[in-house]
Amino acid sequence: MTLSVALGPDTQAGTQTGTAASTDVLTAPDIPWNLVIWNDPVNLMSYVSYVFRSYFGYSEAKANKLMLEVHKKGRSIVAHGSKEQVEQHAVAMHGFGLWATVEKAEGGAGSGKGKGKRG
Amino acid sequence: MAKAFKYGLKGITGYLEPAERELLRSLFDDVISMLEPAEAASQDPLAALVGLDSEAREPSDRAVRRLLPNVSRDDDEASLEFRRYTERSLRESKIGALKAAALGLDKDELVLTAADARHWSTALNDVRLVLAERLDIRDDADAEHVHRMQDWSQAEDVESYLALVYNFTTWLQESLVQAMLASLEA
Repeated sequence: MTLSVALGPDTQAGTQTGTAASTDVLTAPDIPWNLVIWNDPVNLMSYVSYVFRSYFGYSEAKANKLMLEVHKKGRSIVAHGSKEQVEQHAVAMHGFGLWATVEKAEGGAGSGKGKGKRG
Repeated sequence: MAKAFKYGLKGITGYLEPAERELLRSLFDDVISMLEPAEAASQDPLAALVGLDSEAREPSDRAVRRLLPNVSRDDDEASLEFRRYTERSLRESKIGALKAAALGLDKDELVLTAADARHWSTALNDVRLVLAERLDIRDDADAEHVHRMQDWSQAEDVESYLALVYNFTTWLQESLVQAMLASLEA
């Protein structure tokens, strides 16, 4: 996407390998945050699936599975990473018009001792 | 009548009647004017340079809020801070896509490059998000109700007119996304 200033170069239509690599090299203190996509009655299912495929480089099967999860369950965690990474994804999703939020992952490393907030 | 977008040898192609192009141009312009920041760029030139906006607030207009949503469900402070760092460039990139799509409306025949198609799909999506707020589409039942409105001869009031416009942009975006998905397979 053409999200310019605030985004790093690695958000340009991440390829499968690029995305996988960048999630693999995370260091412990930065993990875990989730990128959540919420259902809304406006966004087309085909469009949501297209965004997941083109931006994250997900396969058609994975993109459709996540899209259906959003549609049926109301929300889906579509990516994990450091806070910075999922925030970068979130602004890209907002660029596409998807309703995205970030949240601390539950039950992940280190979250046990935290307050554990849940919406 | 408009023709659905198709993916073929020339790339993604489509066709719109002059009246349809005029309609889309005014829709794109409307959303652009909603996204233009109320005040001029931040007084601090360095802050402006990095896209920082210390004045950023959660938008009061529901449709604008849908275009520029909060990044956290339950932490308003975190959402506001995120907004200050990202909202200006998000507004700019949305405006850029809407302007690019509007520029492509000069001809009946549309031939879209991959980049054009991305601009068109996000521009149409933003238009639909705004129309949906104006039409009070809150859930799938509301969407279904609006979707049933297909006959232009029934357009008697603003709401039915908006519903028809919404359905037209939905149809157009769906055909574009199908063509874009076909181009991913190619």
